[in-house]
Amino acid sequence: MKKMYSNKLNIFLFLVPGLILFVGVLVAPIIASGYFSFFDWNGIGEKVFIGFKNYKELFTSKPIGFLRALKNSLLLAGLSVCIQLPFCLWLALKLGKGIKGERFFLSVYFMPVLISTVVIGQLWLKIYNPDYGILNVLLRAVGLDSWAKIWLGTKETALGAVFIPTLWQYVGYHMLLMYAGIKSVPKDLREAAMLDGATDSQVNWFIVIPYIKPVLRVSVIFAITGSLKSFDLIYVLTNGGPLHSTEVPSTLMINMLFLRNRYGMGSTIAVLLIFLCFGFALLVGLIFKEEED
Amino acid sequence: MKKTLAILLTLCMVLSLGVAAFAEDKTDITMWCIATESDSNRASYEKAIAEVTAAHPEVNFTWEAFENQSYKEKIKMAASADEMPDIFFTWACAFLGDFVDAGRVYCLDDAYKAYEGQLSEAMMGNTTYDGKHYGVPTTMNIVGLFANMEILKANGYDEVPGTYEEFIACCDTLKANGVIPFGCSGKETWCVTEYLESIIEKSCGAQILNDIFAGRATWANDDVAAAVDTFQSLVNNEYFDPAGIALSNDEVKANFMAGKYAFYMNGTWNCADFAANPDLKGKVQVAEFPVINADKATLGQLIGGPSDTLAVAASANNPEVTANFCIDLGKAICHFGYLDGCGLPAWNVDYDASSVNELTQTVADICANANAYVLFGDTAMSANTANTYLDYVAMVYGCEVNGADFVAGLAADIG
Repeated sequence: MKKMYSNKLNIFLFLVPGLILFVGVLVAPIIASGYFSFFDWNGIGEKVFIGFKNYKELFTSKPIGFLRALKNSLLLAGLSVCIQLPFCLWLALKLGKGIKGERFFLSVYFMPVLISTVVIGQLWLKIYNPDYGILNVLLRAVGLDSWAKIWLGTKETALGAVFIPTLWQYVGYHMLLMYAGIKSVPKDLREAAMLDGATDSQVNWFIVIPYIKPVLRVSVIFAITGSLKSFDLIYVLTNGGPLHSTEVPSTLMINMLFLRNRYGMGSTIAVLLIFLCFGFALLVGLIFKEEED
Repeated sequence: MKKTLAILLTLCMVLSLGVAAFAEDKTDITMWCIATESDSNRASYEKAIAEVTAAHPEVNFTWEAFENQSYKEKIKMAASADEMPDIFFTWACAFLGDFVDAGRVYCLDDAYKAYEGQLSEAMMGNTTYDGKHYGVPTTMNIVGLFANMEILKANGYDEVPGTYEEFIACCDTLKANGVIPFGCSGKETWCVTEYLESIIEKSCGAQILNDIFAGRATWANDDVAAAVDTFQSLVNNEYFDPAGIALSNDEVKANFMAGKYAFYMNGTWNCADFAANPDLKGKVQVAEFPVINADKATLGQLIGGPSDTLAVAASANNPEVTANFCIDLGKAICHFGYLDGCGLPAWNVDYDASSVNELTQTVADICANANAYVLFGDTAMSANTANTYLDYVAMVYGCEVNGADFVAGLAADIG
């Protein structure tokens, strides 16, 4: 066995299937997208090479509105890091203490992650329905008629109304990651701190949170890249509307690719999304590394 | 015994070889379309396929149906990979035009020779490119003004108002009595165009709209701007359900069927659903939108025309056989679709059509008096241009721009 592993050819042969998969599924499409982004192409006919024109148009064209879409994604990422993750951490710390019904609450919080996004979208469409949606019905029932709105149909409220279910859906996911990290904190560390007179919050702040930093880093990377890639729920709820107010880069990419037949421009957005996700993942990694140093 | 067994086995072998040889003679034809289980055209497709496959024993036919939006993506992907089905559903004008330009569609000129006199040249206009025919039109539809007569009668109207002034007075009466005159989905902008294009046509005439959609005239037109303002005045006067901006067309249609709105302007493919609903029996009428400016427009100028089309891929195994099969199928879908009330026939009617529902018959009467058709803007224009146009239409419905800004913006972005 040892001899077999020492043979470089054998190692290479074992790696080949994975390598083919990695190159075929990940690397090749990225290269292809990069290639198509330099063309004016409707996906069917002749491709016309136009260099960096798509990139220039993407950042300068107001009707395309890429910067607005990017701003929406970054806002979602900011909300995710500043509101969603602290809330998840709070929940994980509470559950990690070993409260009564711990398993039950874990299952309840994790349930939205298991449900199909389309189903969640339909559920929230019903909640926001201007006529019979539970949100407006509740507001009217408590006498706040003027607060009842067309949540998904008004530019001022649509973005917030879309972000709430997007953030809500993954609370359980991040909470479970953090909960697993908290559960791995050695008991003797906690007990030693308690013996020294540390309160619960001091134990959390000085022992638990530093201990689960690698988990927090992963959560932050997932939250930011997930926000940049967010698509399905927004597509179901508003499809980027009204008047592009809830547009994010992914919905814009679909619009360019399949509605406008602009495969070159769609590929340009895809390439930028890939670089943004890699860039932010590296940045978060660097920030956490500096903290650790 | 052994001899008999040997003869029997030999016979079996010869027979199976014969069957195999016969099977090889069959042409495999695949078709993609959008007649899903929930589509109102499903039944007519099934009946047509049963009839045409029985008449073409030389064909081994298989078909698949996809949801409308995903189909648009799937067929384009298949075309870019040159892996198209032999027959495919398509929309006329620009949508099919992209495939024709890319050389992906088989020309049907030779195949049509056997069908002379059964299909008018006018019905083939939207699928004709450089004088060659590339599509088989099935049904045609127009935009209809559907009215809930129960609501109108309760508000003192026995029929749909015939003039624009009476129509506006009717809307005012309805509004004063707490009834929402119109329902329109803002989430699906094509629904807004059904109203807007009708109003532009009945204000400026069909010719100008046809010229603009075909790129022969510019959007920078004061009459069009004024017509857009007329549409926006209906929105500002609160004739439209404000909730409609967040609803899908299915939800708006359901609201109309539930009696929430007095009017609903949409494609006449809805006739089948309205006629089949027992709760709406005798309650719904369809009419033409009234003329707004009689100096420039007349009744009989309609939005719509033949758009639903079948086409044959250039990559089809046996294009001649496939083309004949496709034309027969398109004709049969037209036949059964008309009888089911899914639209008007693109092909000449040489059968008993007395069983067609009343709404579709009314639409047929409207079309019989038609003097001009303007195809739906988002079908007539290329995909990129059409979506720019839809963006501006959404802005008009959301009152973000007025008529002057609408035409100026479109003139700058489209031409």
